[in-house]
Amino acid sequence: MVVGFLLLLLMPSSRSATSISVVDRNVVVGEMGDMLQLRKRRRRRRGHVSLLTCVVGFLFLCQVSRLAAAAVLHRHQRISGSAGDVLEDNPVGRLKVFVYELPSKYNKDWLEKDPRCLTHMFAAEEFVHDFLLTSPVRTHNPKEADWFYTPVYTTCDLMPNGLPLPFKSPRIMRSAISYISTHWPYWNRTEGADHFFVVPHDFGACFHYQEEKAIERGVLPLLKHATLVQTFGQNHHVCLKEGSIVVPPYAPPEKMQSRFIPPNTPRSIFVYFRGLFYDVGNDPEGGYYARGARAAVWENFKDNPLFDISTQHPSTYYEDMQRAIFCLCPLGWAPWSPRLVEGVIFGCIPVIIADDIVLPFADAIPWEKIGVFVAEKDVPNLDKILSSISPEQVLEKQRLLANPAMKQAMLFSQPALPGDAFHQILNGLARKLPHDPHIYLEPGQMVLNWTEGPVGDLKPW
Amino acid sequence: MKKAAGSHRPTRMRSKNRSGFSSDQTSDTAFRSTSISFFRIFIQCMFCIGTLIVGFRFTREAHFLRASFHHPEDSFSRRTGARMGSLVSIGNRSDLDLRIQEEIANDPEAFRLENSETIIRSRVRVDVGRHAILIRPWPHPDPFEVIQAHHLIARVQMEQWQLYGSKESKPIIAITTTFVRSFQAVHLTGLLHTLSLVPVHVTWIVMEAGGVTNETAYFLSKARVHRLLHLGFGDAMPAGLKERGQLEAHMRVEGLRYVREEKMEGIVVFADESNLHSLDFFTEAQKVDWVGALSIGLLGFAGFEETAQSRIADVHQEEVGAGRRDNLFSRRTFEPQVQGPSCDSEGNLVGWHIFDPLPLEEEVYTGIMLAQNRRLEWPNFVLNARAVWKTEGNQPEWIKSWDEWATPKDGSAPDIKAILRDDKQVKVLGDCGRKVLLWWLRAEARADSRHPANWVLDENLEIIVPAKSTPWPDRPVRVPPPPPPPAAATVGTGSKRGAGSRVSGGKGRRSKRRQSRPNIS
Repeated sequence: MVVGFLLLLLMPSSRSATSISVVDRNVVVGEMGDMLQLRKRRRRRRGHVSLLTCVVGFLFLCQVSRLAAAAVLHRHQRISGSAGDVLEDNPVGRLKVFVYELPSKYNKDWLEKDPRCLTHMFAAEEFVHDFLLTSPVRTHNPKEADWFYTPVYTTCDLMPNGLPLPFKSPRIMRSAISYISTHWPYWNRTEGADHFFVVPHDFGACFHYQEEKAIERGVLPLLKHATLVQTFGQNHHVCLKEGSIVVPPYAPPEKMQSRFIPPNTPRSIFVYFRGLFYDVGNDPEGGYYARGARAAVWENFKDNPLFDISTQHPSTYYEDMQRAIFCLCPLGWAPWSPRLVEGVIFGCIPVIIADDIVLPFADAIPWEKIGVFVAEKDVPNLDKILSSISPEQVLEKQRLLANPAMKQAMLFSQPALPGDAFHQILNGLARKLPHDPHIYLEPGQMVLNWTEGPVGDLKPW
Repeated sequence: MKKAAGSHRPTRMRSKNRSGFSSDQTSDTAFRSTSISFFRIFIQCMFCIGTLIVGFRFTREAHFLRASFHHPEDSFSRRTGARMGSLVSIGNRSDLDLRIQEEIANDPEAFRLENSETIIRSRVRVDVGRHAILIRPWPHPDPFEVIQAHHLIARVQMEQWQLYGSKESKPIIAITTTFVRSFQAVHLTGLLHTLSLVPVHVTWIVMEAGGVTNETAYFLSKARVHRLLHLGFGDAMPAGLKERGQLEAHMRVEGLRYVREEKMEGIVVFADESNLHSLDFFTEAQKVDWVGALSIGLLGFAGFEETAQSRIADVHQEEVGAGRRDNLFSRRTFEPQVQGPSCDSEGNLVGWHIFDPLPLEEEVYTGIMLAQNRRLEWPNFVLNARAVWKTEGNQPEWIKSWDEWATPKDGSAPDIKAILRDDKQVKVLGDCGRKVLLWWLRAEARADSRHPANWVLDENLEIIVPAKSTPWPDRPVRVPPPPPPPAAATVGTGSKRGAGSRVSGGKGRRSKRRQSRPNIS
């Protein structure tokens, strides 16, 4: 465009040059009257011609510059999901969150007892609390708050091997809710409809690690109206409430970002996966773990040279992911896994093998454009499916993955950066505003049944 | 398995409905139910007795077999658990779809309910519980798909190269010296594949000692380079190694003269055929302004093991004498043999690290580096092609002109380092020589080795002797009639073989033997 303008400026000078040559010719011709007429006609024609050339040149240059811009290789592409181009929205100013002050037995004591809670994949609840305490969206005046946050760490009761025990979690949650309902009036005002809780455990607020038991229990009755921020997401499942916000599992950002390799290292592995195929401890016969999908991957592709799959966890795991084109993210005991986060950070296209899964921030991130979804029954044809994806599609997916906003949205970065997972949670909450006026109950009206649920949950904690 | 069998019972009942026997269906089922229960009790008794005889319960296996034959909709084989060993694979998915479609066309009414129910069941939720592990009938890679996947990988890598790779893409001019010998196939194949993979334009100048031959041309025809020049050099390659090195230096100068005459543009790389190049070497070479130097690693003890061992034993004796008894191989094993530029901490060139390999006997290939002959190799240096052009004005003053360095007056072999007037101006590549991108494999067959050049034996060996290691008694062997003699000798007759005369003599003798044989059969 700039060049076009410059050319326009230069055009008058060229016009004068042509006029000089024409005048010379006129002198050579030698007839006065004819000369005058000729000069007038020529000047007009000259004017037309030069104007035309101006316009044509300008248009041509515009086209050329546009084509040149398109031909420049784009390293990454903008991401816009079903809710629009919302990945880089700033939540500050769009909502206000009030953080309840609970006694330390609900949060800090758990951390002191076992600091492993800050590094395992359920650490989101601790980091969200930490973030909200110092965030500009926090307000100390509950009257102007849109959302209320209860910092209760239900996933911090760890076994010696590091996995959380969910058996006390329903009682802890009940105890926390009864605390806030007795000390502040805001819970009873809406029976929790403008409160949100972070429940990152395997099956969310069902508080069990076994799917059958979790379905039997269902979401804790007291949380029926509240918004849940959880890692579990599966369509038509009891443990995914309507209106929940699905977040990625916690992955330590510094650990991953310190292991980048130069981006010109050629991606030579076609499909990469490291993890269990058969969970021999809990499911020795097979068919139960991962609904048989992981075992099917192993049985069908264990001798396929394109598939670099194994249970051996190497020390170069992150580096290998950066040398792979596709990374398998099959379900395990629960459909979500940290492999999705790792794949996105390292630019490896995630191949998601989990029927009906709801991926994190699904309204802000168009996962169908970024990842490859394979139904569990199609696992035996996985090599056919993956090798028949056209190279243009693969390159486009890689461009979307290379978008820094995408990588930022999957991380719970310390300190919080714009566009990271904390902001996405707040954006999700902001998109649910303003609250429906029906959530505000009449004083004295009770909707929740405090005695609902298994008897063991009713014991005070 | 019982659960699976149970879930499929409704479909079996409906299939009976479809056949239309509705009136006597109820009586049938009533009769069938009593007969079934009696039948089942009978079967269970049989299984019980069988178990007592055999010693373990096989009811589950029997149920599995029974249920598996009533599952027409299984398109993949299903393994139901670690204990069940047998895999049953039935039919093909496409056949199944066709059959279902036919049945739908025949009788839509009865089928619709069943189908919709299954559809609803599959759409609403995923079942919790034990699922079958689906394995396709031929769980091995399909070569067509593997090729497709490789095309995809190549396209992704090309895109990576375009986005993140080196922005400079000056063409590469590779100068190689070769001659026909046993190990030519080994070295030249590796080199031609490496050069075919270099992402920029490669002009490959191959100088062959002893003239252009078909064997070398056969290899070079497989190279996928931008331009290939196969030139012959008059003199044959001598047998001695020192002389070989000198001839190679002359041949490289000849190649550079070609570059000079044709005014080729690019970066000149001395890609010796016994070198192993990493592709990073070609990327690193792009950074050269005029002359660059980089490290080359030396591989191989370059000789026979016992000689090296004996040498090490000598060293050990010295060390024992001096009182140090530790590791016998300390001098040899883990010392990196790298030759190239060496820098100080700021990265300025301060000297050359010339490795002095253990000198071995003369007849084996020890490499050019002998103790008294401290020289850098030609592949250590990378040149801008303009450095050898005729227009002397363009070159910096620290590069000597062609006549000064390329044709030494005393007739000795030219050395590439002689092109420099000032060592300090050399650009040091590869992280100041610390990164080794180039390896010299010092492995050669003996000069009199008669291994065929292409490692392919087109004809029979000269002598065929029957093996006498069988336990059966000796019997006169009937030798099959000999094949007709070939029209022309296909074995190369250069002196480079070193034993060319002997070969031709052998052929003559063989033909004589052939003529005398036909009486036997």
